[in-house]
Amino acid sequence: MATQKKDTPDNFLLLVYRFLSSYKLATVVLILMTLVTLFGTLGQVNHGLHAAKEKYFYSFLFTDKIGSIPIVLPGGLPLMFILFFNMVLGAIVKVRKRLKGLGLLISHIGMLLLLAGGFVTYAFATDGYMAMYPGMKTNRVESYRKWQLEIIKLTEENKAEKLFVYPSEALQSIKSNEQRSIPGNGLPFDIVINGYSSNAMPVPVSAPIAAGVQAKQIDGFKLAPQDKSKEAEQNLPGCYLEIQPTGDEKPIETILWAGSYKFDPGEKPMPFIFEVEGQKYGALLAKKSWTVPFEVQLDEFIFEQHPGMSMARNYESRVTRFEEGKSDTSLEIKMNEPMRYEGYTFFQESFGPAGSQPGDRMYSQFAVANNPADQWPLIALCITGAGLLVHFFMMLVGFVVKSFQSKSKPKTA
Amino acid sequence: MKLRHILATLSLILAAPVCLEARDAPESVLPNYEAWSPETVHAFEHILIQDDGRVKPIYTVARFKLLQFSGRTSASFSTQDGESHSLHYAEWLLDVLFRGEIAKDMPIFTIDDSETVVQIGVSPKSKRDKYSYNELLPGRARLAELAQQYAEKQQQHEQSEKDPQFELDRIEGMVLNLGRNVSAFEYLLGQFGFTRPGEFLVNENILPDELVALSAKIDPIEMLDRMPEMTINQLVQVIQQPPSGDEDEAMFSGALRLFFFHASSARGLNIVPPESNETEEWLSAGDVLIKGLESKEARPWAKEQLQSIQELVDAQKAGPEQFQKALDEYGANQKSIATERGEGEHSALEVQLYRGKWFTRALVFFIIAFVITALSWLSPASAYGRIMIILASLLAIAGLVLNVYGISLRCIIRDRPPITNLYDTVLFITAVAVFLGLFIEVVTRIGVGTLLAVFSGVAGMFLSIKYEAKEATDTMGQLVAVLDTNFWLWTHVTIINIGYAAGMIAALIGMLYLSVRLFMDFAGKRNKDFLRVLTRMNYGIICFCLFFSLVGTVLGGIWANYSWGRFWGWDPKENGALMICLWTLVILHGRMAGWIREIGVHMNAVLLGGIVTFSWWGVNNLGVGLHSYGFTEGVWRSLYLSWMIMAVFLVMGAISWFVERSRKKKPGRSDPPPSKPLPA
Repeated sequence: MATQKKDTPDNFLLLVYRFLSSYKLATVVLILMTLVTLFGTLGQVNHGLHAAKEKYFYSFLFTDKIGSIPIVLPGGLPLMFILFFNMVLGAIVKVRKRLKGLGLLISHIGMLLLLAGGFVTYAFATDGYMAMYPGMKTNRVESYRKWQLEIIKLTEENKAEKLFVYPSEALQSIKSNEQRSIPGNGLPFDIVINGYSSNAMPVPVSAPIAAGVQAKQIDGFKLAPQDKSKEAEQNLPGCYLEIQPTGDEKPIETILWAGSYKFDPGEKPMPFIFEVEGQKYGALLAKKSWTVPFEVQLDEFIFEQHPGMSMARNYESRVTRFEEGKSDTSLEIKMNEPMRYEGYTFFQESFGPAGSQPGDRMYSQFAVANNPADQWPLIALCITGAGLLVHFFMMLVGFVVKSFQSKSKPKTA
Repeated sequence: MKLRHILATLSLILAAPVCLEARDAPESVLPNYEAWSPETVHAFEHILIQDDGRVKPIYTVARFKLLQFSGRTSASFSTQDGESHSLHYAEWLLDVLFRGEIAKDMPIFTIDDSETVVQIGVSPKSKRDKYSYNELLPGRARLAELAQQYAEKQQQHEQSEKDPQFELDRIEGMVLNLGRNVSAFEYLLGQFGFTRPGEFLVNENILPDELVALSAKIDPIEMLDRMPEMTINQLVQVIQQPPSGDEDEAMFSGALRLFFFHASSARGLNIVPPESNETEEWLSAGDVLIKGLESKEARPWAKEQLQSIQELVDAQKAGPEQFQKALDEYGANQKSIATERGEGEHSALEVQLYRGKWFTRALVFFIIAFVITALSWLSPASAYGRIMIILASLLAIAGLVLNVYGISLRCIIRDRPPITNLYDTVLFITAVAVFLGLFIEVVTRIGVGTLLAVFSGVAGMFLSIKYEAKEATDTMGQLVAVLDTNFWLWTHVTIINIGYAAGMIAALIGMLYLSVRLFMDFAGKRNKDFLRVLTRMNYGIICFCLFFSLVGTVLGGIWANYSWGRFWGWDPKENGALMICLWTLVILHGRMAGWIREIGVHMNAVLLGGIVTFSWWGVNNLGVGLHSYGFTEGVWRSLYLSWMIMAVFLVMGAISWFVERSRKKKPGRSDPPPSKPLPA
């Protein structure tokens, strides 16, 4: 009889519901999450943080080895989804609503909010940085790791106008041995990329290292792919670029390398300059950038070290925020005291140039984040903490009462 | 076991540290040794110094210098007259600074492997031994050469993202360490060299003979009056000029070279408060010499500072009373300037912290309590057993009070919450674990809580002492900018460490349960009530662990969101905390799923302990992430050992589980009643 019931569609759905809301599923997912976290932590030693995050936590499936034994595990992303649905069904829908379980119910709601916040952050948050010397003013935020191909037009006054951008997602999908043609919509030339490396270094052909590089030689240089750095921000991509004028002019070839981009806010990028139909253009690999709806000017950067040490004690920036139609606002941004405004948060991140000492002219770097779920974890913590507190307090009282009761009972054994 | 046997065992345990101390007294070539008077040492220990970014008593510097060189806080040796001496670190530093010739013959450099000295061409003693500076002197040049080579290799290792080909092997690491220690010792020896014209304690060989001969006629302090006002660069040019044959010029150049020699030898001990209150950095005698040389305006001040140091050295030669008086005066003068500047206000408290040996004393209390707890097992259910447990609990409370007092002193001295670095976590977690154990004892009164408390106390205090000796650096150092927030240190850091403590207690209860259960299974007498109490106890502690770990972890995320702009970055330390939360949830949900019963709860609690140790110590040594506190040599070895011990308990649990399964399957044998369900 029981077997017949199981075959009916209604009971099949019930089985799915029971499975999805079960403690067993929760236990398995939690065990797997622990394992994934362990692998993801140890994996950072070899892969670096960014690559490990992509491989273990933001993937659907990953392979690894324990010693020489290969293993396959689900990535963090599906596990967190399953955990979310398991909690909704098991801890909110299915659970018996009684006073004794009130604390657990509250704490699970908090955890759901935390997971939801994690998802919103993963899907919608953006982060980048803004670096400037005192006196500089900008509203431009640059990506830490995303590079894009930009074609600029140089005016007669030698000013640059951005004409064309080949986005980072498309650029990074090009393999080192792949040729990709990009139509120069509206431009008097087409663009061809002959291989892209996410970390590379141009080497002179006279250098001994160049002998081992199987790549095309242009102007006495070859582009040598490098192993990816563990610090993803330190990767400098490079590619072979070919400009194919749509007219009769000859194609122009060059090596584009991210090392020609500015790494100090006081510098300017050095694009590859070429001429088509009498007009000067520039091509460069530049960091992806976007703007915020207000400008920030660095008025003063304060840098202090502990006396007699090279350890930073404090670094803070005094800035002025400018926005059309609003009065200018002067404020301070320092460690643990960010500026939050219009959904953007500016954190005092670092400073430079490297090796600067107090008294040197230094630039200040802000991390700029835009996260719709910015404050969700705090709310989730309050809810979860309160729920757990209620639950464990009730348990503790029960434990203490039972312990004293058992002691007061006469021993029979 | 008869009482006399017990007492004999107890006395052996208590005497062990004394025996160890007495055994380890290497021989010195010193004919005899005249000790400093306690008054002199007391006057010396309050001298202020700016070191690692803060003003502290020289007492602290002496402690960590000697720990750095020898791994001990006392310099022990025997002299040719057959006497054994054990010098306190303050006495040792007094010798180094004021009786350098004696200090050079004290065996204070601990060499863990004699291959280290063989490499530098010095005749080895035993495999692990102590050497004096003079014993190492024949290999000094080779040591400098090798240390330089290995330092470069180590730098390449760092720069190449830890390429194994540049990794130093054990002996290379030891040679590099010895090179650094000998160099640091030489700096200490040379501190007051400028006050002793014609006398060279170190580095005499690097000077040409004519300069050595000239040195007796040159007083660097007097030289300040005669020097023209020139920049350092101009003076260096004078030295670098080829000899013109002019005798006066040669004399001037030679004097200048000697001056720079003394100035560079006298760097490192910043005992001179700056001339201006607007300057934060204190100066060493070497800095003062250079400052006086650079600026005529600063010369009267510089001379005054240098002469006061000269007076100290002269007073030491004059006699103990004069020396003590001079030290008192120097210290009082420093103190008044420092007070005016708002520095070193807790220096006396810092001396009290180290002089009080609160953590060592706490260890002694915990050891005695542990022995008494063990003695209670002879008759646990009797009045004797109860009295012993109460006595052990009282001693554990005393140990806890001493530990908390030490922690409180550290908080006051730094004006910080209890935890700012890894060393603090050991003290704090020990205190919380002891407290939890005692709380369990109050509730259950079966002796288990006391056992947990005293075991945690012994292990934690022992670990803190070993860790301090291993690191040999000031444990109250300055914080990087991001940590400069007492709010988050009080909340996130403190709470997460309470979670660690609970995780460790849960693991200990698990180990206790698994070993007792196996013993009972083999003995054929299972005390189900006792086992059930242990399970309920552990369940409560696991919940406690979850609460603090979860709240602490999320608070850490919120702090990260304020500091770095992201709530969660999958940083190793964050992951470690997450794993603790996840595993406690595995235990709670696994039990609700019916997969985990009594044995399962305890086996998983032991695993939880493994995760806590990984999170607490392991992730810091992965060398990646924002929380990486730097590599501590030997941590992985200790971690692997702890995990192997835990694995043994897991095997014990597995055996118990199989025993239970086989009993259930045997026909005719009554199944044991199912475990009483735990609360949800």
